[in-house]
Formats: sequence, structure tokens, C-alpha cells
Amino acid sequence: MSVDVQTTAPRPTAPGRGTWSLTWHGLRTVTVLELRQRVRSTRWKTALVVWFLVVGLITLLTTGAFSILADDPYNDEPFGGIVYSIVVGFVLFLGLLVAPTLSSGAINGDRNAGTLATLQVTLLTPAEIVLGKLAASWIAALAFLVASIPFLAWALAGGGVSGLALLTTVLMLAVVLGVVCAIGLGFSALVGKTSGSAVLTYLTVGGITAVLPIVFGLLAPVTTTMDEVRVWDVEAGYSWAETEAPECEWHTREIGVWHSERTWWLLAPNPFVVVADAQPLTDEPETLLDDGNMLAALQYGVRYARTGPAAEQDWCSDMVGTSGQSPVEEVVVTDQLVWPWGLGFDLLLGAAGVVVAVNRLRVPTERLSRGTRVA
Amino acid sequence: MTPEGGIRAQDVRRSFGPVRAVADVDLVAVPGRVTALIGPNGSGKTTLLLMLAGLLTPDAGTISVAGADPVTESYAARSRTGWMPDVFGTWDSLTAREVLTTVGAAYRLDAAAATARAAELLELVHLSDLADQPAHVLSRGQKQRLGMARALVHDPEVLLLDEPASGLDPRSRVDLRVLVRQLAAQGKTVLVSSHVLTELDEMADDAVFLSGGRTVATRSVADGDLPREWRLTALDPAALRRWLEESGQAYRSEDDGPAAIVELADDAAAAALLRSAVGAGVDVSSLAPAGGVLEQAYLALEEERR
Repeated sequence: MSVDVQTTAPRPTAPGRGTWSLTWHGLRTVTVLELRQRVRSTRWKTALVVWFLVVGLITLLTTGAFSILADDPYNDEPFGGIVYSIVVGFVLFLGLLVAPTLSSGAINGDRNAGTLATLQVTLLTPAEIVLGKLAASWIAALAFLVASIPFLAWALAGGGVSGLALLTTVLMLAVVLGVVCAIGLGFSALVGKTSGSAVLTYLTVGGITAVLPIVFGLLAPVTTTMDEVRVWDVEAGYSWAETEAPECEWHTREIGVWHSERTWWLLAPNPFVVVADAQPLTDEPETLLDDGNMLAALQYGVRYARTGPAAEQDWCSDMVGTSGQSPVEEVVVTDQLVWPWGLGFDLLLGAAGVVVAVNRLRVPTERLSRGTRVA
Repeated sequence: MTPEGGIRAQDVRRSFGPVRAVADVDLVAVPGRVTALIGPNGSGKTTLLLMLAGLLTPDAGTISVAGADPVTESYAARSRTGWMPDVFGTWDSLTAREVLTTVGAAYRLDAAAATARAAELLELVHLSDLADQPAHVLSRGQKQRLGMARALVHDPEVLLLDEPASGLDPRSRVDLRVLVRQLAAQGKTVLVSSHVLTELDEMADDAVFLSGGRTVATRSVADGDLPREWRLTALDPAALRRWLEESGQAYRSEDDGPAAIVELADDAAAAALLRSAVGAGVDVSSLAPAGGVLEQAYLALEEERR
């Protein structure tokens, strides 16, 4: 008890810092604190090992299945595309399942454990606490992604996919996981129970992944209108009983046309669409589709939806075997990107999560949500 | 320090929905003194401390902590306030030393200063030999001591201690008392809430009594002699009572024992009473204050409330 209490601690003379003030020192303090706690819990290591094994198993199985096809002497197409797209899809799917658990308890969990107020009374700003927690959960999510990279790279060895595609895919996966972490953090500041915030995060992710595409489908009748379309059709009055092939000629018909270009944006926020649309394609879409590259197919699909219906349709050429001479131009799928819109929307959601969390961590607080303690 | 150091709270109110946790509190705690915050469960002590620590906004009233308003000058107030909560949540997987270096970093100390400060504080609260154990192996009392160290990391001017003695063994209680007195001697303002009134007796200079979210009394503990009750026993209780009645000294019998309780103005009156009792041939076996000053004041307030 002889130790002098008043010692080296310098008197804080820093000027006041606002809610959104951010320093590298403060950010690192919170991130290191969060990561230390995560790394030292054994569940985390187990989860990472299980992840590695599961993704490895899937890669092995798909590779095994498609190598057999590739060994077929009549089928020498590269199998990399299909393995790659399956592994990427699987990693994204698992990532969307894991990421919410990494962040959706970060704030309300601390609040329940009585450790949140401990940070709030210090000189850390709310922005530093929230972004530090976001960085920690994002880094944890990225660890899962890094654990999958060997398998993604392995799929490249199968051919048909470029290294650049790997880079953009990993980058997009990383951003998407960060967005999910940010959404989880927002809910965790908003809701008292960790289970509640996890459910809301899953619902939001499920909303952009599944519900919006379903809405896109359900809106098809609404976006289908009766339009006058120039149709290259069989000559009028042709009975099909004649021995001579019919002539093709232009008709103007009023038919139902699906204007998917009006609702394509409902597909854009979907994480799978964002990842698929952002990858550069090395080949013609048709070739890649033949390879079974589902990411390429998805990219082609959403771009096709964005292109919308053509003004002219060919109903005749295939029927009479004169496709080479069709005056109707083939549909050119738009090269306008879909992913910037989707990613932009997702980033807005994530930013909203961060803003909500920072506002909720402001001290002193005016209100307490029901049943929560500040301490 | 600004001329207005210490803690000043005036007409402070705070409700949670329909519950008025703090209805009307006035409180002054002076630098260099230890102020006890006393009240039954649910009297608003913890809510008041949360407002003083800058975690909750008061619905009404003004607060000044070390010259800063925790609402409008939150950053300055937080930099000068050390808060030890009643429920000590801790980062379970961190070691005691890491807890303190982390808090040091959170108070914007650089790494070297935070490490030095942590070692020093661990020494101060006698946790040096447990410094590198994870916090979850610490006992409740040890965690409580770690919480005390955590509140001191940034050498605050004002200390808010919410039930610091709960869970402490007798040795640690003595240490806590010595530490708190030492901090006050350095000119810090210390506000302690506790249920253990006898302990506050030895620790506190002033006392603020809360009841139903209101300040019901403010007393000085250490200054001057106050009228208080004394407990008087003799080998022959009957003889003692007889003598008390003969000498005209007002008394009452103890509820659960043979002793007589007398109210005396000060220590001199006690000495005089003892002298005359012995002179009258009563075999007095003990004369001592009945409970602490705070306990008596507290019970008296309880009486008034009924």
C-alpha cells in the first residue's frame, strides 16, 4: 500500500472528440481487444477447422465428379469453370451463414456481459468502438475466406477460369462479408438479445438473397405488357400441309412482352449476383455456359434481364431451317454492369448498420431499450 | 483543475418509463474528502452514479464533475472521472495485465505508459502474482480489485465507486479503505456507495443519504462529535437499570440483550457517565458506541420513513 498512486499517467489534455472522431490508436485498441477475445475462444478455432474440411470436401467431391467426365475421350472441355463456380457459390453460401454470427452479438453481447459501458466511459469515441468491432468481425470473416483460397486456386488448375476472375471474386466475397458484418453490428446495437439480432441479420441477408429475386419473379405478370412487336414469321395463310417450305415475312403482332429491364435491379443486391457479375469473362458466354460455369451463367442471366425484350423477334428461321439468313439481329446482351448497383445498395445497408450502432453507443444515453442495463 | 472541482449535482432527476429512479437528488462531494452515498436497495444510487459517470443523461438538473458537465462536455468529464461499476463485467479471456493495458490504451495512453501503469496498479491492488492469469480465473473479490485498478488507470480526479467492498475479504477491505483514504489525501474526490455502513464509517468524511430517489439527509461523519447512542452493559443489569433511573439518565433497553442504550452528546459525556456509574458502585463491563454513526443515522431515517 506504499505505492504512490499519482504517477506516470499523464493528464489527458487532448481536446474533446466528437462521436464520429476516429483515430488509428483508438480503432486498433478496440480491434485488438475484440480479436484477442475471439482468438482465445476454442470454438473459433474449431469453426475454422470445420470450415476448411467442409470446403475441402466439397472441392474434392466436385473435382472427382467432373474429372471423371473430363477423362471421357469424347469430352475434353475444361472442368475448371464448373468446379470453380460450385466452390465459390458454396463459400459464399457458408460465408453468409457464418458472418452474421461473427457480428450480431458484438454490442448487445457486451452489454449483457457488462463490458460495453467499460469502454464507453473511456476516451474512445462511439465511432472507434463500432468500427473497431466491425474490423474485428470482418477480419474474422476474412479468415474463413482465406481458408477457402487454396480450394479456389485449385479449381483454377482445372482450366477455363482466369486468375483475374479469382482476384475479383475474392475481393467481392470480402466486401459482401464485410457488409453482412456491418448489418449484424447495426442490429446488435438495436436489439437487446443476441438471438434477436442474429435472427434480424439472417432475415435481412435472406431478404436480399432470396426474397428480392422471388419478388422479381412475382412481378413478371405486372411487368408484362401487350406490345406491338415486329415478328419475322411464317407467311400468312400457310397451312403446314403443303410440301413446299413456307416463306418468312414480316408481321406486326401484339404480344405479351416481359419488360425485365424495369425490375432487374431487384436482382442486383443479391450477393451471388454481385460476385458473379463482377468477374471478367475470358470467353464467349456461350462457351462458358457449355463448360457449366454457373457464375458466368448468372452474370449472363442478370445482364439479359437488364437488356429487356428485343423490338424484333424471329419465329420463323429455326422452323424452316434458314437461320443463317434471318434478318432479325441476334439479341446482344448489354455490357452495362449490374454489380455496382447491387454492391452500392449493399454498402448502403452496411453503412446504415454502422450509423445506427454509432448513434446507439453515444454517451450519455437518453434512453435505454426495455430490459437492458447500461452497465 | 477548474475552481469548481469535485462533484456537484443539483435537482437531478431521471425516470425509466413510469419508474422514477432518481426523483430529486442534490449532492456535493468535495475534493480531498470521501463522500459516502447511502440508501436502501432501489433508492437510485446506481442510476445516480451512472449519470455522474456520464453514461446516462439526467431528465432534469445540473451535474458538474471535476468542473465539466458530463452531458455537454462528455469528453472532458470522462477524462477526469474513474468509474467502478457495481456489476463488474470483464473480458474473460484477457489477463489482468491485458485488461489494464487495454483500458490504458482506451484512455489514449501510449503503449509504454499503459504497460508501466498496469504493472504499478497491479502492485497497488495486490494482483501482481495473478497478473498473467486470464481474468475468468479470478475470484469475485479479485475481480473487484481489478475493477478498482481499472478505474484508476488514467489517474482521475474524481472516483465513483459503486459497492466497491462487496465480495472482498477482510484483508482486502482494509486495503481498500487505506487506498481510498490515500486517494482522498492526494486531493481526489471520492464518492463511495455501499451497504456496509460500519465500513463507510471508517472511510467516509461526509455522507449523503438517498431514499426513494431523493436526497433525504447530508451528514458529516468525521467533523466534531455528534450525539449518538452508546451501549452500556454491567455485570448486574438490574443494578445498572436501577442506577440509571436514580440518576435521571434517559435510557432504553436493548431489544435483544441485557444492555442499556443511552444517547449521549459527545465523547466527554460518555466519559462522565462512566465515571459516575463506577463511582456509584455499578460494575460496568463495557461502554461503547452502539453501531456506527452512519448506521444510526441510516436507521433513524428508516424510522422516519415508516
